[in-house]
Amino acid sequence: MMSQQPIISLQDVGVSYKRAGSLFRKTQYYEALKSVTLDIYPGETLGILGRNGAGKSTLLKIISGIIKPDSGTVINNNASVALLALQAGFDQNLSGRDNTILSGMLQGYGRREVEAKLDEIHEFSELGDFFFEPVHTYSSGMRTRLGFSVSTVISPDVLLIDEVLSVGDRHFREKAEKAMIVKIQSNQTVLLVSHAHSQIRRLCDRAVVIEAGNTVASGTPAEVIQIYETLLDKGKTVA
Amino acid sequence: MTSTHPEQSIEQYPIPETSFAWARKVAQEGDWSESAKRWAVLRQAYPNHPATWFGAINAHIEAGEIEKAIVAMGSASEKFPNHPNILLQGAKIKLQQNQPDTAAELLTIARQKHAGKLETWLQSADCAAQKGRFDEAEQFNTEARQRFPDALQAHKQCSELAMQQKNWELALERWESFRKQFPEHPAGYLLAAEAAEQSGNPKLARKLKLANEYGDDLLTEMEEEVFQSQTNQRHRHTTLGGLTELVWTKAIFNLRSETQRNYLSYLWWILEPLLYMVVYFLVFGVLLQRGGEGFITFLLTGLIPWTWFSKAVSSSSNSIIAGQGLMLQVGIPSIVFPLVSLLQASLKQIPVFLVLFAFVWLQGYPPDVHWLALFPVVLIQVMLTIMFGCLLAALVPFVRDVSHLVPTGLMFVMFLSGIFYSYERIPAQWQNIFLMNPIAFILKCYREIFIDGIYPDFVTLGTWGIISMLGCVLILMAYKKLRYIFPRVVLA
Repeated sequence: MMSQQPIISLQDVGVSYKRAGSLFRKTQYYEALKSVTLDIYPGETLGILGRNGAGKSTLLKIISGIIKPDSGTVINNNASVALLALQAGFDQNLSGRDNTILSGMLQGYGRREVEAKLDEIHEFSELGDFFFEPVHTYSSGMRTRLGFSVSTVISPDVLLIDEVLSVGDRHFREKAEKAMIVKIQSNQTVLLVSHAHSQIRRLCDRAVVIEAGNTVASGTPAEVIQIYETLLDKGKTVA
Repeated sequence: MTSTHPEQSIEQYPIPETSFAWARKVAQEGDWSESAKRWAVLRQAYPNHPATWFGAINAHIEAGEIEKAIVAMGSASEKFPNHPNILLQGAKIKLQQNQPDTAAELLTIARQKHAGKLETWLQSADCAAQKGRFDEAEQFNTEARQRFPDALQAHKQCSELAMQQKNWELALERWESFRKQFPEHPAGYLLAAEAAEQSGNPKLARKLKLANEYGDDLLTEMEEEVFQSQTNQRHRHTTLGGLTELVWTKAIFNLRSETQRNYLSYLWWILEPLLYMVVYFLVFGVLLQRGGEGFITFLLTGLIPWTWFSKAVSSSSNSIIAGQGLMLQVGIPSIVFPLVSLLQASLKQIPVFLVLFAFVWLQGYPPDVHWLALFPVVLIQVMLTIMFGCLLAALVPFVRDVSHLVPTGLMFVMFLSGIFYSYERIPAQWQNIFLMNPIAFILKCYREIFIDGIYPDFVTLGTWGIISMLGCVLILMAYKKLRYIFPRVVLA
């Protein structure tokens, strides 16, 4: 696996956000990422471990190409990247079908491509006739089911997952979890962000630990989790 | 369960199997010494039942209490001299005592006397394996599998033998066929995962462990996915076609969503402009009696194009802020947001314009060849709207204060564009400067076409065409440059 070219490569990436100033307040800068270096290889499942505020969500925005870093380089070898965004851009007044089309298009598909997948998404969501009803008539479980179905059936080259989710009722949750696991274990390239190391251990080929905007460790899940745990312990004693 | 002893009356009470479950339960949980104790209790009630003896012996062996096992075996062999377990468990004890040769002898006798018992073959294989004679072990195991093709333990042992020989490839193969026959049994996944781990394939090991939890289709479904993810070629938003498709679909869907909210749905597209016109007609035509003959036509030919511009610009000016949730989730170009707002607002003006045409006609200004000039006029207005709309939309995220100025600014432009009065009524020396306001000029064009029945000033129109074209190109370039800046600004 390592001999392959990475599809996405981050070198010493840093991001600082501006805290908006006003006439009476000076503009402040806040370093969300200091120096992050990591490679994502095709077909692997890479886990990102980090505490709250370690810079995980900023990292996801960098990798998905929503923002560009202030320092360092990001190389994307022509891969489409998308965050598993449940209900991205859902319109309450539109039917499940229309929302599916819209959501698929927002995630980068052409309208025809999404329409070709409509039946599959409809079936997976188990919404039945509700699929053609406005989303505001749905229960919240049904809504997540629809969002999840869109994101599972349609998938980019690199899928970013912010925590493995549990959606819907028990029956659907099991199904969703399984679909997600199948996706993760397939040749789909996945970047899984979590603060729960059990998931990283169970699902990932490699893992990286992010702490205070820096990559502090990378390697096999078992090695990395150990380092992460010592970090957590240190955090406790300091606090 | 035949007993050679006469005093069977004692064993009449409960059905032994249910009582035996009491002892077997703890054994399954791994507490063998407790199980042995329970068998001892049961033996008081069923002294002539072989299970109470051999269950206890087995439990003692598993718990490592060899001495106790030997003592129990002594009594058991007197009571049931022909029971196969005398040989089989005897062999087990010998193995525990590190006397494999004696064990092998016992098993040889067992194979002669009890060849029809699965245990005989399994233990023979175990014993041979323990002695390191794997080919012999394999033979016994093959025998077991041939005699008992459905026996789980035989197949499990087969795979385990491969693992004991550290032949991981073979083990994985055997576990795979084991899974085919016994898809429900966890050993097929968990022990196979161990084999995969040992053979240096942690990925397969993980898959196997997950397959144990989520079902074995996890192992087969993967092959299909490979094909799928390679055919995804998706960077559609960066192409003009993809962008247009997205903007168009989003605008249409937004309109659909808007109409879903109301009972009269699409009817509002006609009703709203009609009501609007009725209000102006009442106020200016009936109540104020202002402007004399034809004033309403004059007013509406200015007001309706203006409304289009002002609605489109004001709705797009906030579009990037409004779209921030989406912008931070999916990587779409920011220009999508103002363009969708502009298109959405413009599409809604189409019926209004149709009503205007009808109104103008009814007022005694029938369509003639000059109406063809509407095409360039509308086109220039579209470009001006895009230019101003996108410009404001780009400014607002940086200086949010701008959004407070937009309504006031639009009102200012409205009064400067000659909607309620003709440009001819201002002092002549100001007229040229007044008409440098593109909106004032565009409104003048509409009135020349509708009311005066003449062609507008094509030279000035063309100039504005070029200016707005350049403006749009510059804006597009600016948006491209700002694409990664907007999400940050919005976040701040």
